[in-house]
Amino acid sequence: MSALLKIDDLKVAVGAKPVLNGVTLEVRLGEVHAIMGPNGSGKSTLAHVLAGRPGYTITAGSVTFEGRDLLSLAPEERARAGLFLGFQYPVEIPGVNNVYLLKAAFNAVRKHRGLTEVDAFEFLGLVREKMKFMRMDESFLGRAVNEGFSGGEKKRNEILQMLILEPKLAILDETDSGLDIDALKIVAQGVNSLRGPERSILLVTHYQRMLDYIVPDFVHVLVHGRIAKSGDRTLALELERRGYEWVSEEAA
Amino acid sequence: MSTALAARIAEEYAAASAELPAGVVSAARRAHAVKMLCAQGLPATREENWRYANLRALERVRFAPPSTQAPAAAPVKPVAHAELPPPIEGYVRQTYVDGIFAPELSSAARADAAPGNPPRERESSADARFALLNDAFADDNARVRISPGFDQPSCVEVLFVARAEGAHASSYPRLDVRVGAGSRLNLIERHVSVASDANFVNAAVEVDVASGARMTHFRVQQLGARATWIDTLGATVAEDASYQQHLVHLGALAARSTFHVRLAGARAAARLHALAAAAAHQTHDAYALIEHAAPHTVSEQVFRGIAAGRARVAFNGKVTVRAGAPGTDSRQSLRGLLAGPEAEIDVRPQLEIHTDDVRCSHGATAGKLDDSVLFYLLSRGLDPDTAQQLLKWAFLADVVAKIDIPDLKRSIERALAGRIEVAAALKELL
Repeated sequence: MSALLKIDDLKVAVGAKPVLNGVTLEVRLGEVHAIMGPNGSGKSTLAHVLAGRPGYTITAGSVTFEGRDLLSLAPEERARAGLFLGFQYPVEIPGVNNVYLLKAAFNAVRKHRGLTEVDAFEFLGLVREKMKFMRMDESFLGRAVNEGFSGGEKKRNEILQMLILEPKLAILDETDSGLDIDALKIVAQGVNSLRGPERSILLVTHYQRMLDYIVPDFVHVLVHGRIAKSGDRTLALELERRGYEWVSEEAA
Repeated sequence: MSTALAARIAEEYAAASAELPAGVVSAARRAHAVKMLCAQGLPATREENWRYANLRALERVRFAPPSTQAPAAAPVKPVAHAELPPPIEGYVRQTYVDGIFAPELSSAARADAAPGNPPRERESSADARFALLNDAFADDNARVRISPGFDQPSCVEVLFVARAEGAHASSYPRLDVRVGAGSRLNLIERHVSVASDANFVNAAVEVDVASGARMTHFRVQQLGARATWIDTLGATVAEDASYQQHLVHLGALAARSTFHVRLAGARAAARLHALAAAAAHQTHDAYALIEHAAPHTVSEQVFRGIAAGRARVAFNGKVTVRAGAPGTDSRQSLRGLLAGPEAEIDVRPQLEIHTDDVRCSHGATAGKLDDSVLFYLLSRGLDPDTAQQLLKWAFLADVVAKIDIPDLKRSIERALAGRIEVAAALKELL
């Protein structure tokens, strides 16, 4: 299997402060990787740098996506190429209709892939089907993006967008935070429905709880901006039992 | 005001006075207005409430209206229906060209001056000075009268067409609205340009909403690109009555609105929802004073303004609560969006409270689009232009949504789409 995402010795700073100190990671098609780590270890930075958020300085290293230099692409180009970031804190956008955004995003990705735009009626059918799957009320169709949504509703809305955009690589940044157990199950069901040989998933999480429902192929522990340890899902269970400290010590 | 300007106004008035109809404003009142103006001077940008206005056109305009001037050698081409905005379904239209009623462009006769109903005295408020200028030169008066006890809403559109070039003559739209007790009025007031896009328009509007009456006033300023529009509106709202205004500033090079809404009776309510979308070198400036003068009165001011290019957008919203107005409930939400590195936004909420037991809230913000929101849209594959346009559109959305006349709303949305360079994808929705 070829590498979909290849991160090689990536070093990133925010202002003068180094945050990632040489991350190396390879994600092949069909794989699910979990990146775990204590607060401040650089997990979210890694997710945002991959999606192209401004404000970070790449000081060394490279990232390729399907063999292309990912870091030279604008955020919207990355999205169209098939990269999706599920936000830890999805923003509220008053005045922008949820379906309008979904449709604009959907057609931007389709256009890039050389497909024709889908008409409004057909698109609405697709959205309804996916919303039902995510157990979202139809009233969300007419509402502004995330405006007045509860924490759980925002996360479900992120997964809804992901289901509609069908990315090749989904990066989910702390998607489990703030979810109760029922919402977590629904979100996991959404993510699992996308698992398949044609796409990869990168889960960024602090707790192993979500990994009970979305079982990863690989688990990596990020400490001080570096992957300190990698393993299979048993590593996540061990982290839950023992905490993060021993990994830091071992790495030191 | 420079003395030269005062002298010129007095001079032009003296030359035109014989032609100015006494039925619109009496000769005595006109002369008084000119005298007051010369004594007080026209507003200037060194005054606090006029800082952001663009009054430069005053130096160049000819103040007398076309009706008082000798006919031009070449006949003036009459205004055609096709040059006017399409009619609004369910609304009768009265059209005024350069301030004068044009029956051939109207679907309704004008209201006659009700006998024994003389024009009210102009308040000696410092901000009504341009209304004095209108008093001096107005050559017609658009009256809208709704008798008491009409609970079915009357729907009227008054269309003011500016045709004269400001360098040659000025336009004085004059609108006098009285809604009788318990009646309802939906009024659309629009200002457009034909023939010339460099008009000088000085409008004066008086509104009187009697007890228990309800009026919704839609005002759309869509003048030509080099026009100057100055607008003075005074409204009095009686007990249990409500006055709601939706103001949309789209056109003109320089536009200034000055409002004084007085909540005169108990439980009276006023809502002002204003929107400005300025680009290039445009200035859209407004000063809105809402005066709570009776108990349990309610007011709301919502402003959304976008300034692009080198435009300047200002909104100064003032709420005064008099000693006799306990139980006042007032809310202000003023927001400006900077859409260009050389644009300027000034929003200012002001509160002046002379009684206890009031509930007043105000919020004012001015800034650029939120980077984190922009990034969210980009991360979904939208290109930067579309994302920015979408957010600008969204910024205005809640004010536009309140314009509940479908034809009018659509025409405003189309005009706005042109102004804020909305992407093709967004136009699809209109």
